[in-house]
Amino acid sequence: MKPKKTKPIKPASSRKRQFLRERQFWFISIVALAFLLVFYFVPMLGNYMAFINYKPRKGILESDFVGLEFFQKFFSLPDVWNVLRNTLVMGTINITIGFVAPIVLALMLNELRLMKVKKVVQTVSYLPHFVSWVVVASIARSLFATDGVVNELLVKAGALEKPYGFLSTGGTYWVFISILNLWKTVGWGSIIYMSAIAGVDHELYEAGAVDGVGRWGRIRHIILPGISTTIIMLFILGAGGIINGGFEQHLLLGNATTREYYETIDTYVYAYGLEMGQYSFATAVSLLKGIISITLVIITNALSRRFSDSSVF
Amino acid sequence: MNQTNVKGIKSGMVHGRKSAVEWIFDSLNLILILLAFAVFLYPFWNQLVLSFNVGTDAAKGGIYFWPRKFSLDNYTYVLGVTHFFRSVLYSILRVVVGTFGNLFCCGLLGYVLAQKSFSGSRFMRTVTVLSMYIPIGLIPIYVLYSNLKLLDSFTVYWLPGLITGWNVLMITSFVESQPVALFESARLDGASELTVFTRIVFPICKPVFAALAIITAVNHWNSWFDVLVYNPSGNFDTLQMVLQRLLIKADIAKDLMNQNNNPESYKLLTPITIRAATTMIVTIPIAAVYPFFQRYFVGGLSLGAVKG
Repeated sequence: MKPKKTKPIKPASSRKRQFLRERQFWFISIVALAFLLVFYFVPMLGNYMAFINYKPRKGILESDFVGLEFFQKFFSLPDVWNVLRNTLVMGTINITIGFVAPIVLALMLNELRLMKVKKVVQTVSYLPHFVSWVVVASIARSLFATDGVVNELLVKAGALEKPYGFLSTGGTYWVFISILNLWKTVGWGSIIYMSAIAGVDHELYEAGAVDGVGRWGRIRHIILPGISTTIIMLFILGAGGIINGGFEQHLLLGNATTREYYETIDTYVYAYGLEMGQYSFATAVSLLKGIISITLVIITNALSRRFSDSSVF
Repeated sequence: MNQTNVKGIKSGMVHGRKSAVEWIFDSLNLILILLAFAVFLYPFWNQLVLSFNVGTDAAKGGIYFWPRKFSLDNYTYVLGVTHFFRSVLYSILRVVVGTFGNLFCCGLLGYVLAQKSFSGSRFMRTVTVLSMYIPIGLIPIYVLYSNLKLLDSFTVYWLPGLITGWNVLMITSFVESQPVALFESARLDGASELTVFTRIVFPICKPVFAALAIITAVNHWNSWFDVLVYNPSGNFDTLQMVLQRLLIKADIAKDLMNQNNNPESYKLLTPITIRAATTMIVTIPIAAVYPFFQRYFVGGLSLGAVKG
């Protein structure tokens, strides 16, 4: 039999053939694309609500276009400076103290010679990460109540004359909530540093020992330089968190007496949008935050590409 | 090689006698670590103790490490809260459906994105990354769910979370590190991509799936804000929501005073001890499970760190 003549492959048919070969991949991709469009990209378009006076009965297309009116309104309200201040202060605490604490914990755990103790402490340190803010809030309300254990011990020890209202004093609310944030995140945050420390070349330890470097010196001159890339990388990635002043913890632990100090952009959006039904105004505020947030991501990503050769995209 | 290094260090420590400075360093470190340990654990222990104590007695204070007047009434009260068992059921159901659904969808998409030969992979990867960074406000989402008739339904718990960018990309990077020949041979045997995924990809990617499973499951178990916002009717309350209601509302105290049909002993309960019992009911399932997944999530996080 004569061998069948094969047609010269034309670009079009090759593309078709490729599509046929990839049809299962395309099917999965298109379903996923449809899903992402509905649940991610449609709500992004929904930010248009910030520029109209949205009335649920009228719908998005029928509502009146108002331009930047709601953005102007936000900056003209007296709350705005409080809200921005609280967001930035608590965000800054999170990306500074909240950033350093896991590194310190990881270094301390690494210096521990008792392996069993190290393992148990590590495991227990993850527990606060695994419980919800509702649980943390519930525990905190019990421990820090005026008749709670903390006040009881402080009064007995003579540190306080009478019980202190941790939950009802605005002036110390930031400190109080930051302690809870720290408690909840420090153990989990140390995981990455523990594995980075484990990756430091052990021959350097030996070389250090020969040169008579002590324990403290080993941390300063061998371990910290060894994990500096990880530290820089995570700091750059986390720097955008300055705009996240917290949300769930304030909804659960804030009250009228601390409002002046807990109201962040996120709680503000919730209060105006879902509690008072001012959809368009709340959308404008959250869009503002979204824009700042994405700008920070882009800046930090560019920085990370420049300084550490690695970037998110 | 590694072995000898470790030995070398250890012997080095044995030889030279520990100097006084070293000794102080170690002791101080140990003390601080044990202090941290207590700070992590004691709040939970305190709640456990309170939950087993008679409420009015606990209010007198002075209970630190062990119940003074033992009682199970806090727990029987919580178990008797209206719709308590229904809320447990919804919590479990959303963990199971939400986690399986998410891992299946993210796994399949993650597998597709890892195919370097697939011409659409770059585009889909961009779309996935974009979905992680575009600003989406609370209100547009709420309006969308309301238009899709997702409010006041169980569906709202699991459907919108089926695809999450982070999980997709974690799986993609894991699949990429596997030899392509593994999938090719199965395809030559005529297996569909779904079969390749369930029979080959899933088993070899077990470590990453285990890590994502525990994190996703815990997120579902802990969610309460979406319950509050998307299910205002209370018909689909989860366990976290029961605790949240006990936490926010001062109803318990009133309920305890008013209800004449309560057992006599309920008069001795207080909101603090009841909340402690609820806290324990919510926390114990997690505390019992997560230590067994430790090496997976630790491994998963480290992988994420290495990949940047």
